[in-house]
Amino acid sequence: MKLTSLLILPCLLALGCSSTETSKTSSAPDVTKTSSSDKGGKKITMALLPKKKGVPYFTSCSEGAQEAAKELGNVELIYDGPTSGDPAEAVKLIDQWTAQGVDVIAVSPNDPAVLGPAMKRARAAGIKVLTWDADADPASREFLVNQATPEEIGNSLVDAMAKDMGGDKATGDVAIVTASLTASNQNEWIKFMKSRLPKYPGLHLVATKPSNEDQKLAFSTTQDLMNAYPNLKGIFAISSVSFPGAAEAIKQAGKSGKVFVTGLSTPNDMKSYVQQGVVKSVILWNTKDLGYLTVYAARALVDGTLKAGSTTLKAGRLGDKNVVKDNVMLGGTITFTKDNIANFNF
Amino acid sequence: MSWRREWTLTVLLAVLMAGAFGLEPRFVSVKAQTLLFTHLWELAVVAVPMLLIIITGGIDLSVGSTIALSAISLGLMFERGVSLLIAVPGAIVIAALLGATNGWFVARLKVHPLLVTLATMAAFRGIAEGISLARPISGYPDGFLQVAQGPLPAIIFGGLAITTHIVLTRTVFGRWIVAIGTEETVSRFSGVPVARVKLVLYAVSGFACGLAAMILVARNNTAKADIGMGMELDAITAVVLGGASIQGGKGSIPGLVLGLILIHETREFVSWHWKQNELNLIVIGSLLLVTVLLERIPTRRKLGEIAQH
Repeated sequence: MKLTSLLILPCLLALGCSSTETSKTSSAPDVTKTSSSDKGGKKITMALLPKKKGVPYFTSCSEGAQEAAKELGNVELIYDGPTSGDPAEAVKLIDQWTAQGVDVIAVSPNDPAVLGPAMKRARAAGIKVLTWDADADPASREFLVNQATPEEIGNSLVDAMAKDMGGDKATGDVAIVTASLTASNQNEWIKFMKSRLPKYPGLHLVATKPSNEDQKLAFSTTQDLMNAYPNLKGIFAISSVSFPGAAEAIKQAGKSGKVFVTGLSTPNDMKSYVQQGVVKSVILWNTKDLGYLTVYAARALVDGTLKAGSTTLKAGRLGDKNVVKDNVMLGGTITFTKDNIANFNF
Repeated sequence: MSWRREWTLTVLLAVLMAGAFGLEPRFVSVKAQTLLFTHLWELAVVAVPMLLIIITGGIDLSVGSTIALSAISLGLMFERGVSLLIAVPGAIVIAALLGATNGWFVARLKVHPLLVTLATMAAFRGIAEGISLARPISGYPDGFLQVAQGPLPAIIFGGLAITTHIVLTRTVFGRWIVAIGTEETVSRFSGVPVARVKLVLYAVSGFACGLAAMILVARNNTAKADIGMGMELDAITAVVLGGASIQGGKGSIPGLVLGLILIHETREFVSWHWKQNELNLIVIGSLLLVTVLLERIPTRRKLGEIAQH
């Protein structure tokens, strides 16, 4: 009997396979990959992959994406991703979409090394692939939908700090608590922060310290900085982990309103510090617009209107967006303050 | 007895594939199935020795962690410039030794396998995280990465499954495995080398974890301490779904193969059709319940008939 079932299995699989052959021929136009221009304006299926499904940041991105899909009317949007954030699960999803033959996949890679091969398989199957929110190996995608340039982030951070400290005439020492000294994103931002600082001659950068993505270390580093530099007036805590750590240190030292801290984070993570007055400004890009722009970029990529050499992209309510080499630029940061932070829930 | 589980699984699989063909014809295509099957092999490889261990009445909860530690060993060796020709067999040997450690505790010290492997499940994962500092190790050569895309993982599983089927049904060693699970004390008195058999099986389980680790690292291009998380539950579920008794003494390779395919196809189809990754979490449990319930209905009628006579 055991052998019987062993025999049945291949038969069953063969059955499945043979029936497919017929289905393949019957639905030939659907299966054959059409060139991008043939898809112009036609209904397409787009898969949008977040690093992790179910976290407020990405949920808010997906809201913008749904808005754009509805507006366009000819994009069927699949928003799915690993609830665990496990990159291996993301690979399974990309492979599945490849097998399904969706038209375009937009990936926010949690681990570019793991996702890269699957993205390349999708491209080899004729599917358009782009990245959004975070980038991967350029060979595995055609475009990156880039939320903000390092220059914009660097400038926004310095401008917000100066504003918090009293405007153009702000004076005092400032320090940076970064992620790790080798973190590439942060180092790019620091480069542009340093070139923006001379705009405010009263501000002096005295130290750049790592927090190694450890909130406790960010906390103790901030304490040490306040002790070492009595004239310290401002701290840039430029990772989502170091920001709350630094804010907590300032709060516990009773220096709210005397030492200012700013950085990048989602509104929900920093809401309590902002409402208590420890933090005046939280910088981030507009997450809804990021999802919205990604859908428009995906549609244009399939239509062939977004291609190598393009310099602008029409993106619905966002107007014309710049395309710089293989980056579609969202641009612009938003600053959350006591006055508006309650309106954002992510 | 065991024939009926295999028929139940075959019927379920046929119903699933027919339903899939009606709803999503493309799901049943060779191209789609080939691509989707690449994600099954590591689980399948680990499930084979798990079947043997469960037949002896034991269990191995440490498989996921053994995979992680073996993968990290490979990554660390590779990072230090050791050739993959040495690092790959080395990492597989390390995994086999980890399995043998489980076996030594179970067979020689007679600690309950649930306790031993629960402890090593935590310990192996902890060591993997510690020695790798929880960072990913990537950058393997293309030749190694291609391995996971080709037919090799399927061949490894096929070889392992066929060998195990022959061992289980046609050899003395196979009869010992079943005997230990049926009546351990009796088999010990009848001259079955119980400790030796168990030691070998846990070592084989470790060895299979080493193979699975290589498949996973090659496919993900990354060794990371969190890989293989939860694999023990999937493997145990496949074994039990395939008709093996968790009390030991019963189980077959054809049942396991059908169980694996049914789990795999159901998961992929649910995720394909409903496009909600989180539904995957519900699939396995429901499948197990449905299978058991389907078999309950005729059994109870039969019991009723017996009672009437």
